[in-house]
Amino acid sequence: MLPQVIGLLAFTAVPLVASLGYSFTNWDLVAPSPTFVGLDNWQHLLGDDRIPAVLWNTVRFILVGTSTLLVFSLVAALLTFTPRRFVGVYRAALFLPYVLSQIAVGVVWRWMFNSQSGPISGIWELFGGTSPDWLLDPATAMPSIAMVTTWQTIGYGMTLYVAALQGVPVSLLEAATIDGANRWQRFRNVTVPMISPTVFFLTVTSLIGAFQLFDPVVAMTSASAGPATAGGPSNSTRTIVLYMYNQMFNYNEQVSGLGYAAAIAWMLALLIFLVTAVQFLVSGRWVHYEDPTASGGRRRRRARR
Amino acid sequence: MSAVTAPRAWARATTKERGQTVLYHGFMIVMVFAYIFPALWALSMSLRTDENMYAADQLIPHPITFEHYHRLFEALPELGRYFGNTLLIAVIGTAGTLLSSSMAGYALARFRFPGRGTLLATMLLTLMVPVHATLIPQYVIFRELGWLNSPLPIIVPMLFGTPFASFFFRQYFITLPGELEDAAAIDGAGPWRCFFRIIVPLSGPAYLALGLLTFVSLWNSFYVNSIYLTRQDSWVLTQALQSLIGRYTAQYGAIMAGVTLVSLPILVAYLFFQRWIVRGISMTGLAN
Repeated sequence: MLPQVIGLLAFTAVPLVASLGYSFTNWDLVAPSPTFVGLDNWQHLLGDDRIPAVLWNTVRFILVGTSTLLVFSLVAALLTFTPRRFVGVYRAALFLPYVLSQIAVGVVWRWMFNSQSGPISGIWELFGGTSPDWLLDPATAMPSIAMVTTWQTIGYGMTLYVAALQGVPVSLLEAATIDGANRWQRFRNVTVPMISPTVFFLTVTSLIGAFQLFDPVVAMTSASAGPATAGGPSNSTRTIVLYMYNQMFNYNEQVSGLGYAAAIAWMLALLIFLVTAVQFLVSGRWVHYEDPTASGGRRRRRARR
Repeated sequence: MSAVTAPRAWARATTKERGQTVLYHGFMIVMVFAYIFPALWALSMSLRTDENMYAADQLIPHPITFEHYHRLFEALPELGRYFGNTLLIAVIGTAGTLLSSSMAGYALARFRFPGRGTLLATMLLTLMVPVHATLIPQYVIFRELGWLNSPLPIIVPMLFGTPFASFFFRQYFITLPGELEDAAAIDGAGPWRCFFRIIVPLSGPAYLALGLLTFVSLWNSFYVNSIYLTRQDSWVLTQALQSLIGRYTAQYGAIMAGVTLVSLPILVAYLFFQRWIVRGISMTGLAN
C-alpha cells in the first residue's frame, strides 16, 4: 500500500517542482520544446500591471464573499441547530445549492441579475430605486458574483457551525446565566470562543477557494463557449486563475505561453501558502481550542475540533 | 424531536410558547422559500411557454410545455454523449479515489515505516497546493501521451488517490480499534486481508460519505475539464451548459432546461443521500 502513498505524492510534488522549472522557460506549445529564458517570466510578472488588477479583484471578492459567508451561515446555523420539528427539512433546503454545479448556479443567477427582465431588478424597482446593472457594471459585478458564491456556500458553513454549536456544553451556558450574563453576553463570551475553531476553519478554506475563483466568473460573465471571454465588464471580474488560463492558451496576450502561466501558478501557490500561514500565526490570538473557563478542579472539556 | 412527543409538548405549551413556535416556523418557511427561490424559478422557466417567460405569476407554469427541452436537444444534438462522458468520469473517478485513497490512508494510519511523520506532514502541506500549480506539467505530459480530449487526464490521477481523500480516510481509520486486526494477524492474515476483510466492511459510512462528495464534485466540475476537453465531442455537461450562453442569450427557456437536466441526477442523489452528504461535510470539517 506504500506505493499508493508515494504515487499520491508523485502527482503533487513532482509536478509542483516541474512547474517551477517551466516558469524559467518560454513555450507556446507550438514549438517542439521550451526555451530557457531565465528569470524573464518572473521579471515580466513583477512589471505586469494586470497582476495587481487581478489581485485587487480577488480582494474585492473576499471582502464581500468571505465576510457574508461567515455571518450568514452562522445565522442559518443559529436558527437551525436546536433539535426541533422540521429543522432537518430547513437544513436540507439551505444546504441544497451547495451540491449544484457552479456553472448551473451561475447561469441561473446571471438571469436573476439581468437588468431588463430579471427578478432582482424587478424587486429593486418595486421599492422605488433605479436598479444597478449588476453583472454589467464594473463596480457591482464582482460583489454580485461574491454574493452568489455565498448563497451557494451558506449550507456548507451552516453544517460546520451546527456541529460546533451542538458541541458547546450546556453547563457552560447555564453557569454563565447564573453569573448574570444576558443572552448577548452568553453568545459573545461563551458561544463565540467555543465555535472559534470553526470560524477559523471556514475563513481558511474560504480564502483558499477565493484565490482560485474561476467557475462562477465564467458562468456569469463569459460571452461565448469556453472561458476565454470571461472576466468582464472591463476586466473587473478577471481572477488570477482566469488570467493564468488565458496566458496558458495564448488568448490575446502579448507575453504569454506556458512559461508565464507557470509563473502565475507559482505566485498563486505562494500567495495561498503565505495567507494561510499568516492566518495560522494570528489564530493563537483569537481561536480557542480549550474551554476558556476550565481550570483547577473543574472538568476540562475540549472543543469539538 | 419525535413525532409522538411533539403534540404532547404542544398541548402542554403556554400561549406564549405556541406563539413563538408559530413565529419561528413562519419565519423559517419564508426564509427557506426565498432562499431556494432561484432554483424553483429556473425549473419553472424551463417549463413555460415563450409568452409566459417573464411573467411574475408563473411560478407554477400554466400551461406547462416541454418545448424548451426539445430545443435544448436541437441546440446540443450530442447531449447524450456529454452525459455519458460526465458519467464515465464521475463513476470511475469516484471508484478510483475511494480505492486508492483508502489504501493510502490505511498505510498512513497503521504502518510504522521510516519517514512516516515527514510523509504525513508533506501530505498536509500538499492539501494547500492549488491544482493550478501542478496543472502545467501534467498538461504537457498528457498532451505528449495524446490524452487530450479524452477522460484519461482527469481519471488517471484520481486512480492514484487524492491527498485530501487519503487524509480523510486516515483520520477515520485511526478511530477504529486495532484489536480486530491484531487478532486477524495472529491468525495469519496479512495487511491486505486485514484491510479488505476487516477495515473496509467497518468503514461503510466513510466510503459512502466521501464517495458521494467526490461524485458530486466530479459531476459538477468545469475548470479542469475546460483545460483538457476542448474538442466538442469530448465535452462534459457543464461545458455544454456553459456553451449555451453565447448562442442563446435570450433563449432562457432552453438554458433553464439545460440547468435542470444537469442538476437533476445530483438532486435525486441528494434527495436519497442527503444525510450522508451532510455527514461527509461534517466529517471533513472534523478532519481538520
